[in-house]
Amino acid sequence: MGTRLLEVTVNGRTRCDAVDDATLLVDYLRRSVGLTGTKQGCDGGECGACTVLVDGAPRLACITLAASMAGRSIETIESLAAAGRMSPLQRAFHEHLGAQCGYCTPGMIMSAEALLRRDRAPTEDAIRAALAGNLCRCTGYVKIVESVQAASRALAEGER
Amino acid sequence: MSSSIGAASAEASPPRTVGHPTPLVDGVDKVTGRARYTADLPHADALVGMILRSTVAHGTIVGIDVSAARALPGVRAVVTGDDFAAPYGVIPIAQNEWPLARERVRYRGEPIAAVAADDRASAEAALAAIVADIAPLSPVFTAQDALAEGAPLLHRDKAGNVEREVAQDFGDVDAGFAAADLVRERRFHYAEVAHGQIERNAAVASFDPERGELTSRSTTQVPYYLHLAIARCLGLDRAQIRITKPFVGGGFGHRVEPLNFEIVAAALARAAGATVRVEQSREDSFLTHRGRPETDIRLRLGLRAGGEITAVDCEVIQRGGAYAGYGVVTILYAGALLHALYRVGAVRYRGLRVYTNTPPSGAMRGHGAVDVRHAFEALLDEMGGELGLDPFALRRANLIEPPWRTANDLQVNSCALAACLDRVEEASGWRERRGKLPRGRGLGLACSHYVSGAAKPVQWSGEPHAVVNLKLDFDGSITLLTGAADIGQGSSTLLTQVAAETLCLPIERIRVVAADSALTPKDNGSYSSRVSFMVGNAALRAAEALRDTLVEAAARTLGVAATEVVWQGERCLVRGTDRELDFASVVAAALAGTGTLTVKGVWTTPSEMQGGRFRGAAVGSTAGFSYSAQVVEVAVDEETGAVSVEHVWVAHDCGFAINPLAATGQVQGAVWMGMGQALQEETQYHEGLALRPNFLDYRIPTIAESPPIDVTLVDSLDPLGPFGAKEASEGSLHGFAPALTSAIADATGIRLMALPATPDRVLDAIVRRRREARLESMRANRAAAAAGERTNP
Amino acid sequence: MTIDATTPRFEFRRAASVGEAVQWLATPGARVHAGGTDLVPNLRRGLERPSIVVDIGGIAGLAGIAWRDDACAIGATVTLARLAADARVASTYPALAEAAAAVGAPAHRSAGTVGGNLCADTRCVHYNQGAWWRGAVGGCLKRGGDVCHVAPQGRRCHAAFCGDLAPALIALSAELDVASYGGVRRMAAVDLYRDDGAAHLALLPGELVTAVRLPPPDGVSGYRKARVRGSIDFPLAGVAIALRVGQRSIERAIVAVTGVGPRPVVVGTEAIVGRRVDDETAALLATRVEQSVKPMRTTATPAAYRRQVAGVLAARLLRTLAA
Ligand SMILES: Cc1cc2nc3c(=O)[nH]c(=O)nc-3n(C[C@H](O)[C@H](O)[C@H](O)COP(=O)(O)OP(=O)(O)OC[C@H]3O[C@@H](n4cnc5c(N)ncnc54)[C@H](O)[C@@H]3O)c2cc1C
Ligand code: SF4
Ligand code: FES
Ligand code: FES
Repeated sequence: MGTRLLEVTVNGRTRCDAVDDATLLVDYLRRSVGLTGTKQGCDGGECGACTVLVDGAPRLACITLAASMAGRSIETIESLAAAGRMSPLQRAFHEHLGAQCGYCTPGMIMSAEALLRRDRAPTEDAIRAALAGNLCRCTGYVKIVESVQAASRALAEGER
Repeated sequence: MSSSIGAASAEASPPRTVGHPTPLVDGVDKVTGRARYTADLPHADALVGMILRSTVAHGTIVGIDVSAARALPGVRAVVTGDDFAAPYGVIPIAQNEWPLARERVRYRGEPIAAVAADDRASAEAALAAIVADIAPLSPVFTAQDALAEGAPLLHRDKAGNVEREVAQDFGDVDAGFAAADLVRERRFHYAEVAHGQIERNAAVASFDPERGELTSRSTTQVPYYLHLAIARCLGLDRAQIRITKPFVGGGFGHRVEPLNFEIVAAALARAAGATVRVEQSREDSFLTHRGRPETDIRLRLGLRAGGEITAVDCEVIQRGGAYAGYGVVTILYAGALLHALYRVGAVRYRGLRVYTNTPPSGAMRGHGAVDVRHAFEALLDEMGGELGLDPFALRRANLIEPPWRTANDLQVNSCALAACLDRVEEASGWRERRGKLPRGRGLGLACSHYVSGAAKPVQWSGEPHAVVNLKLDFDGSITLLTGAADIGQGSSTLLTQVAAETLCLPIERIRVVAADSALTPKDNGSYSSRVSFMVGNAALRAAEALRDTLVEAAARTLGVAATEVVWQGERCLVRGTDRELDFASVVAAALAGTGTLTVKGVWTTPSEMQGGRFRGAAVGSTAGFSYSAQVVEVAVDEETGAVSVEHVWVAHDCGFAINPLAATGQVQGAVWMGMGQALQEETQYHEGLALRPNFLDYRIPTIAESPPIDVTLVDSLDPLGPFGAKEASEGSLHGFAPALTSAIADATGIRLMALPATPDRVLDAIVRRRREARLESMRANRAAAAAGERTNP
Repeated sequence: MTIDATTPRFEFRRAASVGEAVQWLATPGARVHAGGTDLVPNLRRGLERPSIVVDIGGIAGLAGIAWRDDACAIGATVTLARLAADARVASTYPALAEAAAAVGAPAHRSAGTVGGNLCADTRCVHYNQGAWWRGAVGGCLKRGGDVCHVAPQGRRCHAAFCGDLAPALIALSAELDVASYGGVRRMAAVDLYRDDGAAHLALLPGELVTAVRLPPPDGVSGYRKARVRGSIDFPLAGVAIALRVGQRSIERAIVAVTGVGPRPVVVGTEAIVGRRVDDETAALLATRVEQSVKPMRTTATPAAYRRQVAGVLAARLLRTLAA
């Protein structure tokens, strides 16, 4: 049984917090840091609601030990809006109704974010593959695919 | 008629909001992570509440010793069934469930005690220290066992474990069958399914012993039913209780009745004199259940050669689980909605709702009617095939023409099913493609319908069905106060649109405050697709009242008659002149004499829409039915039994789409949820213990296998709906499963009589059919050989 | 009626080297943590109660893929995402790339590692449940009880090993480097497993898999997985085949099946070697597979289906590889 000082970067800010060795990343983010945008829908690893980015790759915060994050960079849904303005993905999810109840949305958007950073113009198949671990019970996913496509278009227009 | 909405718009060019795709008014909060759901509410000082569940399926509680638990460090409160004043249940005549079991436990997972402690570890230690002495009784896990002679009884007052037996006969059924050219009877079986809303259950309750006040925030679809239940179970005056609903992550019926954990959180808060937070696991939601019951159906239909339905004879048995919940309503819906989709005059319905030692079933999206709709459409499809009728022609032979009163006294005022059929026939390329697809590919059609709000709510004193308040203040902002719970379906957005449209104002001027019993007018909650229709109508009327007040104030200021004022929202004009007044001046004028204004709009379902006079007639009655037709295309892998849904085309008659964006999203979600149930979702029990209480074994479809769903919204302008609108979030669910199995039949010749169509079931059916075909051809060969011997001796 | 407290308690240590890791692993009750995607769900459910959790994610030497000609050494902490995206792996060892891509969902693959996948725990519907649930059935042979709910008469646990990589690595004749306090040994991938769901790994206490070594490919290979959903699900059955077909007939075939028992099943291929790949040969292989695998009722899906579908997948894959 142990406690440690955990040094991590959360949404661009370096932090140092005391955490119990057994603390899950999702509890660290929600309780210690106070970022409740990251959700929990299952009892461990089965739904994707807790998806965050660790060094740019999607990770399930509910089956990640906070202690294993020392020195890593974590990004949550709260990091995407700059100066309070929605990111292209957030705007697309809002305008195209990619979010109904909104509960799967933070995880969904973080998975999509990881995809679009890798591939700004993904095919529909690539979108489906990237979001395949994020369950949504409201949308039937149709408008989620459309939202990611719209964000991809917006990114392309932004470049031009 | 759809009221006076035309009045203002005739001459004006106001911002039109209804009928336009409108992003959700609370959407920004959701996509940025700012939205606070129950588990996100900050409460540094909250105690951790946890619930102990029975591991015994059926037993007498001899004693529950909590003394050791109470004595543990950090434990602030321990409660058991004895701490409650009354049992609960969403239907006033069937309240037989205690928040924590008393005297008896009736299912594995039933809550029996609860603790509040300083932290999770202390709470867990306290649960472990509770000693429950339960003397086992023999359990019954299936409807069949529960109905067997001499089966142990779950409830003393329910002989034979029958919660409700329904027998309804409309028209001359025997004559109907006699007049039929084809009569067929089939049996169907449907697995139990669960809502699977992604948000886990949670409640935060606080009690202030000094003032005797309780506040509760929780994951509910029915804050006002919860209000009643907490008052009743805790023996509190309702005025001492305040319920607010934070953001809610879906419901689909799981949260449409007050649930044990919410009431327990309140009891713990009171016992501890503190704030208690109960956060439940995914396993907990499966144990709490309230999903669609396991169902057995026997269905007989009579058809004329042209496809007209002459008679319906349907028997439904639902395994209800351990407590009443919505059960009576569920079994009544199953019968009531045999009507109102097609012209059927003769209908015999027998329904049995049975108590078993499994978690209680309840209401789930498409309440009561989903499995029956599958049976009905599947048998129609099969019989149509025998009669050589195209599935579309078969449906068209049975269309309702409104206004129409069904045999069971339901009123249909609008129905665009014919148009829905036309749309999906065309969109799917049915005529060109059906019957010409390669082996293993198939197309199937089914129709469905649903209510836009139950005309008689289960808790009802005769009050209006919906009330909305609009508050106009000196700052020129309008606050729409509604008790309606937006659980993601977009009801707050819809109400904003309705009010904005009526007032000719941009939606930014209107702010919604929803579901806070201290501020908002009572509302029955988000279920049976009632919000758009009923609360929408109330919002419309409130906005009209406010507009009238404003027009009068403008008229006074301008010194003209109100009829001379052309209302355009942000400004108004005197007819035929260029004299005008801006909104701020109108507001100032209107409030000068009265101060801040609050106006009210109410909606009451007309009495002719409230059903007939027979027992159970209220269920199924509604002010408006939605209609839907859908075509599903499948690919079946005949070696592995895997079914993949390639495409869905659906047309939904929602009367009028106030928010086409949300309505389309709702229809897609409904179709897709139908797909989950039809393809792969099922609960399962091992001696009464939930075997799939997680998201790995309870297989909600992922995006990877989910199809494109093309939606056409069809208008029928319902005379009672707000702007002609009806429901859009349930009716298309029912059609998916039958369209799927018809498509599978088209692809493979196999008609599945049991759902879900998991690969193992499909493969079983394929293997069985092959075996039968082999046997048949052997028999035929033998017969031919024998015949050959006879003719050529 | 008791409830196991589920809040896990352990000491977390991040190893800087293999030496440090194996030293700590020598402590009784120590557990390796790589990606944690299998271990942490089990910790949360109280299925594992380690005293020390040794994280190997920070050991520099374990995270690489090294090639010598067409042979390859893959470090134990290489992630599945990386493996699935590596073009050279995909062209040289298609079975391995396909298996890696078939694991769970993207977020499992970006955390999950090769070593963790090989050493993942076995699974059973009566085991992968919460603490209350297992208390309600009195535990089982695998943990905390004395009966097996799948085969109550027996004394053996039938929980199924469900890793996707193992059959591919077995078919590709991979070997493993295994380090311990005592040194390093090498073993065939197939020898990592034992036919006991409660103790399915042939590792000694404190041993650590450090690398997977693959010989140059001998023919073609592929992996096929049966699952109900298009993602997330563990295999109901997963079949890997490595195949060398000469001018006319099969010269060599290794077939391994996962998800059907405590260890991956290697299916005898004598019956098909020397034959041409045609429908009859494929059917023969399907029959051999169905006879070799004996899934028990450890999943909610009926065991008979897992057996049937394993045969179908093997037959199909054989035809695809030979085409
Ligand atoms: C919802 C869900 C779905 C999943 N689906 C699949 C699936 O489809 N297919 C599949 O194969 N897996 C699946 N998994 C399991 C898991 O994600 C993968 O098996 C993954 O590869 C495990 O790797 P890891 O590094 O995360 O292992 P860890 O969790 O870190 O470790 C797993 C086990 O191996 C031991 N271990 C780890 N590394 C070593 C080593 N180098 N030497 C010795 N012992 C070691 C650990 O002590 C532990 O007991 C799924 C998991 C979840 C939660
Ligand atoms: S196979 Fe038997 S012993 Fe093994 S985990 Fe399942 S129930 Fe337990
Ligand atoms: S909460 Fe992390 S995967 Fe479900
Ligand atoms: S929007 Fe509700 S779960 Fe996805």
